Amino acid sequence: MRTRREILAAAAVGVAAPALLRQAWAQQDAIEVGSLVSLSGTFANIGEQVDIGSKVAFEYYKTAAGKPLRYVQLDDQGDPGRAVRLTQDAMRDRGIRFFMNCTNSAIALAVAKEAASGGGVYINQAGADEMTGSLCNKNTFRWPVATYSAVNTTVRPFMKQFPDAKKWYTITGQYVFGDSLLKNLKDVLGEVGGQHIGNSYHSLSDREYSGFITAAIAAQPDVLCICNFGSQTIDVLRQAVSFGMKRNTKILVVWSTGLDQFQSLGPDICEGVYFGANYWHGVDAPGNRLLTGVIKAKLKVTPSYLLTAGWACTQATVEALNKAGTTDVPAVIKAFEGLSYEGPTGLEKVRAEDHQVLKDYYLLLGKPKARMRDKDDYVDVVSAEKAFLSPDKTGCKL
Amino acid sequence: MSAQVLLFGALNGIGIGMIYFILSVGLTMIFGLMQFVNFAHGAFYMVSAYAAFAIAQWTGSVLPAFLISPLLAAAFALVSERVLLQRTYSLPHEAQILITFALAILAQESVTMIFGTSGKNVPVPDLFSGVVVLGGFVYPSYRLFVVAVAAAVAVLMWIAIERTRFGAMVRAAAENAEMVGLLGFDSRKVFMAAFAFGGGLAGLAGALAAPLRGVEPLMGREALAIAFVVVILGGLGSFSGALLAALLIGITQSLMSMIWPGGAHLMIYGVMTLILAFRPTGLMGRS
Repeated sequence: MRTRREILAAAAVGVAAPALLRQAWAQQDAIEVGSLVSLSGTFANIGEQVDIGSKVAFEYYKTAAGKPLRYVQLDDQGDPGRAVRLTQDAMRDRGIRFFMNCTNSAIALAVAKEAASGGGVYINQAGADEMTGSLCNKNTFRWPVATYSAVNTTVRPFMKQFPDAKKWYTITGQYVFGDSLLKNLKDVLGEVGGQHIGNSYHSLSDREYSGFITAAIAAQPDVLCICNFGSQTIDVLRQAVSFGMKRNTKILVVWSTGLDQFQSLGPDICEGVYFGANYWHGVDAPGNRLLTGVIKAKLKVTPSYLLTAGWACTQATVEALNKAGTTDVPAVIKAFEGLSYEGPTGLEKVRAEDHQVLKDYYLLLGKPKARMRDKDDYVDVVSAEKAFLSPDKTGCKL
Repeated sequence: MSAQVLLFGALNGIGIGMIYFILSVGLTMIFGLMQFVNFAHGAFYMVSAYAAFAIAQWTGSVLPAFLISPLLAAAFALVSERVLLQRTYSLPHEAQILITFALAILAQESVTMIFGTSGKNVPVPDLFSGVVVLGGFVYPSYRLFVVAVAAAVAVLMWIAIERTRFGAMVRAAAENAEMVGLLGFDSRKVFMAAFAFGGGLAGLAGALAAPLRGVEPLMGREALAIAFVVVILGGLGSFSGALLAALLIGITQSLMSMIWPGGAHLMIYGVMTLILAFRPTGLMGRS
């Protein structure tokens, strides 16, 4: 006859066995990497592209640290709470320790916290400065630049080119990211002799911007600077151009996603407008040649920023795993720190002090339709620069 | 801020208001005539906008879409009404909301499957691609065209509802469908025609909006939110109320964008709350 203790032990084994088996199988066979992507909800247009970019990279790299790679798609539906639950489940049930991607900063910050507490490694595409600033942690890395870099690498070269364009008016998204762009812009303008003559805040729910644009026109600025992101950037720019602002005002979009936004806007709107971007497919760099070749061969399209962001996080993870030669998390974190590799924007380096990937940010200028060499040749690259806050000023304490 | 700037802001607000009117008039008409809560109104708008995109891609100009897209939206509305929605007329409003909401999601996901999740540009027709200079300000020619179309729609709708036999029949059916039936008219056909017409108006709004804001799968939801604000503020089912409310919201939004940009969107709902506090049935609604 079985004792109560034996029955309880057997039950516990029965309950835990599937998870333990899955974990053991995953650890032996492949390195599973959880990819946080929003495939439904408001951010589905972002998540879908990032997802595809990562999958193509997985198909290309196939292995890391001598083991096969396995892509585990985690659809957070644009919800940070769900992203956290998916991360927890992936860690507990499948033993996944490596995570990447996000579709917005709120998701990335929430997952970063979870990765740190669960002993994982996470690389993402968040825009918020806090990711490698006050909310940084030992387990998290960020591929795109911070708002400080975006503003400095666009506004400074712009002002060099147009020293008389002193009066700046901004249209800003009233959320953390927009405010961060605005704050950095005001700082840079103060340093280069520009004047910030006014700002119109819009909310995340605004879609009609003609009132803001009318206010901007009334202020008679030399430069209209758009400080927001995503579809709102497209809408503000489209409406500003329709109100004839290109006639006597220069327009700078500090943060764009590049090709996909240009395709949404069309060449007529893009012409003569300056854009800041984390990536441009026309840049001649070994890592970019590799990426564009693989994406074109697999998908028959030119890589956009979002596809590239998915690729870039995969590539950085693979490079770190290969350097570490093991899946041991502390070893991989150590390998990440100071890692240098040929990425999509040229030589990219992971800064050990705040886990920021140091890479170029581009100032692009929309070219006339007649000068486009192919259907995706929307812009000329005006400048490609790196500008990062020194580690002691980021607020990051690892 | 100078008086001239504020005046221009108010004029721009009239432009925004006329766009909102054309967006919401179909919704208020359907509710007024049929007491039917149509959450699929934004879907008709969105489908038509995508049809405009496809037509512009195919023909090189969006102009033909201003005729074809509303007809497609009307056909979509007609089929929806015949196949699905007519079965819900006798059901509570909650059922109508659920079913039309499901229809809207189906339309949204279908469009996503066909066109993808990213937004698409619909170029402004060459005929209206310039700007009109008014005093020291500029105004896009295309927006003026949209305002003119909206004004024409307002006038034609008033004539159709108040001065035609069909309009009289529709008004009578709205008051007492059973009595209209006893007089030998088929009120179901009247409702069917009214629903298709309402869908067509949403379609016209979608086609006209496409060059203003591009097309993307979630545009129907945003449009529906604004349309409901206009309809509730104007008074459920009131044609003139919708016009008045749309203009009020447009002017408020435009002026507040200049005076207090951060609160421009909030003030739309602020105005609605204030008016509903004093007139719970809306500006022109009947209790």
